[in-house]
Amino acid sequence: MEKEGIIRLNIGPVHPAMHGVLKLILDIKADTVVKAQTEIGFLHRASEKIAEARYFSNYYPIMDKLDYVSALNMEILYASAVEKAAGIEIPPRVVYLRTIMAEIQRIMSHLVFIGSFGEDIGNVTGFIWTLRERELLMDIVEKISGGRLAPMYICNGGMFYDFPEGIENEILEKLSKIEEKVKNEYAAMFTKNQIFISRTKGIGIATKDMIKKYGITGPIARASGIKRDLRKISPYLAYDKVDFEVPVENDGDTYSRFMIRIREILESIKIIRQCIKDLPKGIYKAPVPWILRIPKKETFVKQESPRGEMGVFLVTDGGDKPYRLKLRSPTFFAIRSLEELLVNVHVADVFVIVASIDPVMGEVDR
Amino acid sequence: MIFDYVYSVVSRFIFSPLSYIISFVIVAILAIAVTALIPIFIGWVDRKYSARIQSRYGPVYVGPFGLLQNFADLTKMLGKRFISTNVDWLSFNFTPIAIATASFAMLLIVPLGSPSLEFISIPYSLLFVYTLLAISPLLLLVAGWGENNKYSLIGGFRSAAQIISYELALIIVISSVALLSGGYNITAIVQNQTSVWYIAYLPVTLVIFIIAGLAIIEREPFDVPEASQELQAGWEVEYSGIRYGLFLVGDYVRVTVIAMLVTYLFLGGWLGPFLPGIIWFIIKTAVVLMIILTPRWILGRPRIDQLIKFGWNWLLPLAVINLILVEVFVVL
Repeated sequence: MEKEGIIRLNIGPVHPAMHGVLKLILDIKADTVVKAQTEIGFLHRASEKIAEARYFSNYYPIMDKLDYVSALNMEILYASAVEKAAGIEIPPRVVYLRTIMAEIQRIMSHLVFIGSFGEDIGNVTGFIWTLRERELLMDIVEKISGGRLAPMYICNGGMFYDFPEGIENEILEKLSKIEEKVKNEYAAMFTKNQIFISRTKGIGIATKDMIKKYGITGPIARASGIKRDLRKISPYLAYDKVDFEVPVENDGDTYSRFMIRIREILESIKIIRQCIKDLPKGIYKAPVPWILRIPKKETFVKQESPRGEMGVFLVTDGGDKPYRLKLRSPTFFAIRSLEELLVNVHVADVFVIVASIDPVMGEVDR
Repeated sequence: MIFDYVYSVVSRFIFSPLSYIISFVIVAILAIAVTALIPIFIGWVDRKYSARIQSRYGPVYVGPFGLLQNFADLTKMLGKRFISTNVDWLSFNFTPIAIATASFAMLLIVPLGSPSLEFISIPYSLLFVYTLLAISPLLLLVAGWGENNKYSLIGGFRSAAQIISYELALIIVISSVALLSGGYNITAIVQNQTSVWYIAYLPVTLVIFIIAGLAIIEREPFDVPEASQELQAGWEVEYSGIRYGLFLVGDYVRVTVIAMLVTYLFLGGWLGPFLPGIIWFIIKTAVVLMIILTPRWILGRPRIDQLIKFGWNWLLPLAVINLILVEVFVVL
């Protein structure tokens, strides 16, 4: 306590409302935050260094544990980087299968966001409901890949297994269930609920300048009126062959960040439906040896993960292992902005703002 | 009433001054046995009900339908070790006992479903119940202070601020009911509703009463002082074991009392055709209780300043206007 009337509150790394092991140091004066500092690094596992000791095919489990809420997106990203470096052409069926899996994972990740965001406002039921809907998709991922949180489904040149018989109909069935819940139940629970609106509207406004200053991407940037989605501006996988919209909100407050995710779920459902309709037949894996040797070159691949633009910078030197792997994670940049976003807000709003940027510490600390 | 009955029975056998003490002890034991069952059962109802809303099972293992789960939990709490350090001993240990006592005392004064079923009958029972409800901000502030923790201190202050802004509205709506019936005695208020229930005269008062009542007992969505997400648990952060258990039990008692008061003041208490009075009372209280328990599971939590603003800007003026209208009605 340096100054009169200022209480220093250390929140985290272990705190019921914190997403992972983020630590906040708040100086508060009469229920208002005067100064906020973030502290990261409690989950540092040297993921980038581990890559240098592993074959290209053996790094997927580590990718799974980066953004553990959207593991399949991470796997697909790494696979794309390796395939681009090695010059592997993936079969057309794999392109569609990967698109479907990426969008399923995106829906699951956004459902977790919606639930935990509601939980931070005090609505425990919403959290359990969204996890219930996520479980429907979790079952599908389990049937397809055998895993749940960390599926380890993607490999160099394709996937480990093809889709099982008849899973397409099951996916469509569960998607319509989720669409109905998102449109009706969540509207009643969150978006049309007066208490929810009063807690989120006008709170934690991130302006366009701030977004550019900190290099924030993904749903947070789109909530501030920046229409930038890698799936649209530099399409990868099958995103240029499907028809979907990029939702944009202009307010930049926590409510629009919430709405972006709700709308993105509906768009993802649209994408999956189109992909299943045009799913080509063929092989599910290009013939690629387990141990790859990639000539000396530098490759950078970035894709739209549920939290923003996730990038992999791969430096190879002709060996069977990467020379250097650099990961560019979106929430790492978003967390930096908390020091500015959290000033002059009430203590109760701190957690709403932190939840609205949806940090996953596995990806921030790497 | 129960006390009078026990006293009349005991005094037949034993000499007068001693019989007073003995009947007091008998009533105390009886009261503990009866009133302790109420919060445990209501706690079970709350857990099962919330589980159904959230697509869960709720307690199923201990006893039939998990009925004995709360007994198991309280027993577990009794065996827990005391882990807090640097607390102010007196305020830390005194508060849970005081809160639980104040809560259980309300059950002694409120009739339990029929005019003869009250442990102690006093003429101003409604006012006394209100006093016991309104004593909590002081106790919670003391608890938050005594725990020697920043979170609990913030929680304690929030709690005091919230309850002070809502208890004024509560006493005003209680007074408007008393104005209509002509007294603060719960039994008399119920008997005045023989022709028309007061909900017909005072629908707005009922709404204000439920909102203010929920705010006073810190039931969600008014659980801002406890705010498990931001303040971890607010003023009760350092409490564990049976001290926490006493808060929990006291909480359920107060929910029950609010539901009972709504039944008595607005829904005619035990009055009703065909069935015996106590059945009517249980049906009405159960319905009110379900309505009171629901918001916790479907609403989020407002911010403390929004909550206090709502209390002073909307609820209190509405209550005052309501009181004036009732007075005009009574005079005319």
